Amino acid sequence: MAEEKVPGSQKCIAILWPSFLVAIVATGLFFSAFDPDDLYPFGNETGISRLGVYSIGFLAFWFVSAVSGVGTLYFAMTNCMRSRR
Amino acid sequence: MATSGGVRNSDDQVEKSLYAKAEKIYPREVHGLFARMRVLGVLSLLGIYYIMPWIQWDGHQALLFDLPARKFHIFFITLWPQDFIYLAALLIIAGLLLFFVTALAGRVWCGYACPQTVWTEAFLWIERKVEGTRLQQQKLDAQPMNARKLRIKATKQFLWVTFAAWTGFTFVGYFTPILELGSRLLEFRLGGWETFWVIFYGFATYGNAGYMREQVCKYMCPYARFQSAMFDKDTLVVSYIPNRGEPRGPRKRSADPKELQLGDCIDCTLCVQVCPTGIDIREGLQYECIACSACIDACDDVMGKMGYDKGLIKYTTEHEMKGGKTRLIRPRIVIYAAVLLAIMALFAWSVMTRTPLGLDVIRDRNQLYRETNEGLIENVYILKILNMDNVAHTYTLKVSGIEGLRLHMDMPEIRVASGGVLELPVRLQVEEGDLDMRSTEISFELVADGNSALTVVEEARFLGPK
Ligand code: SF4
Ligand code: SF4
Repeated sequence: MAEEKVPGSQKCIAILWPSFLVAIVATGLFFSAFDPDDLYPFGNETGISRLGVYSIGFLAFWFVSAVSGVGTLYFAMTNCMRSRR
Repeated sequence: MATSGGVRNSDDQVEKSLYAKAEKIYPREVHGLFARMRVLGVLSLLGIYYIMPWIQWDGHQALLFDLPARKFHIFFITLWPQDFIYLAALLIIAGLLLFFVTALAGRVWCGYACPQTVWTEAFLWIERKVEGTRLQQQKLDAQPMNARKLRIKATKQFLWVTFAAWTGFTFVGYFTPILELGSRLLEFRLGGWETFWVIFYGFATYGNAGYMREQVCKYMCPYARFQSAMFDKDTLVVSYIPNRGEPRGPRKRSADPKELQLGDCIDCTLCVQVCPTGIDIREGLQYECIACSACIDACDDVMGKMGYDKGLIKYTTEHEMKGGKTRLIRPRIVIYAAVLLAIMALFAWSVMTRTPLGLDVIRDRNQLYRETNEGLIENVYILKILNMDNVAHTYTLKVSGIEGLRLHMDMPEIRVASGGVLELPVRLQVEEGDLDMRSTEISFELVADGNSALTVVEEARFLGPK
């Protein structure tokens, strides 16, 4: 597939959607091992509720795996273009 | 792609269609046996989804993944984060069940039960109620904006958004108690993150069911990509019977197709118009087909009107199409079923015999050991006792592993409420002479009030100077 044929919206889906699923799994695993309330050795002073910590954790996982997705897509596409030449 | 045989799309075509700009599909409303079944499926699933969180059980919400409290209630079972494995097992069982059903009956999941299908049906229904039939919708969209169009579109958007918001609220109600959530909502006191997730899920519903629709199946669904791996020649698929239908062509109702040298397909394109994914089933099985059987209903209706036999498009199998008979029992089915039953049995057994008692032993981090005034070697531990049972218990604690090991704790009695966690500091003392090594393995044994079935043992290390 040549790069210019792929609409941006589908690139977005290809990046955001799998990373979303990965983030769900990662969040589930991480927070079943760690209780947000135990993550502060000196007591929770941030005032963020558990739901908040889960949510931030989820968004962070999502972001990280999306970044990796951008990398994958970038390499896949540049590779594809090179092999065309 | 759907099956090994009958697939028309080459990879190249798939690629092109994957990346073509999507045009809006206006599926025509369809009536018939399968449409009724789908409505039934959609209504019962939506009913379960919206009503379930309101059902109470034994003083708590019957189905609640209580994230703030880190407890999962599934009717009479309460699971803890430590029981993550059970949730994972449940997911595996659900996945295997899907494999099994797919091998047997093809993509019935897609056609009748997938949330994407279910909510799309609901959104389509609203759209039809407000905008009218397929033709009326197409006409309306082609018009320039005017007062009437604006009114109709605004009504639709209002209904869609309200429905989506309610969906989002219900979703959050599975993760935090919905009664409290509801009363906070009425007082406009929803927490920031709760609001975020209501909007997030509501927006996802709105976008996926209102706009993305069949594109979710085409571009986003992992199941749609790998379901063909579960197919074999005896799997049910929706298929057009080309031998019977071709050559297609329009004709008068009174005409004799044989005379005109035509097959049974009158080329009315109704099967294309009703298809939610916008494909023509007559071109053979395609990976876009979600086996919703709307085209079966549409075609059967036409066949009836023409006075032909029904079933020009029907549920069939590759074997049957080639003139053979469908085998129901075959190795693939037997293996899936056996694995599924085994895992389900294992799951049920382990849930039933689960010890609803957890014990974590954490060594005091500040010092390895200390010498008491009496010259004894002392180690300090914090025990975390988790009562996962539905009633309170009093526990007795024993330690073993070293001759003459003495246990001291500050509480006269270890009592933990149902669902409670107790942090219990304990001190262990021993004569230096009884220690052979610097580090000795010891074990804590916790027994619930005289009931030896409710026992946990946890290993730990005792450190000394040697
Ligand atoms: S293809 Fe995927 S999203 Fe579409 S109906 Fe099937 S399972 Fe659902
Ligand atoms: S081809 Fe028929 S069964 Fe397949 S998605 Fe379209 S209408 Fe549904």
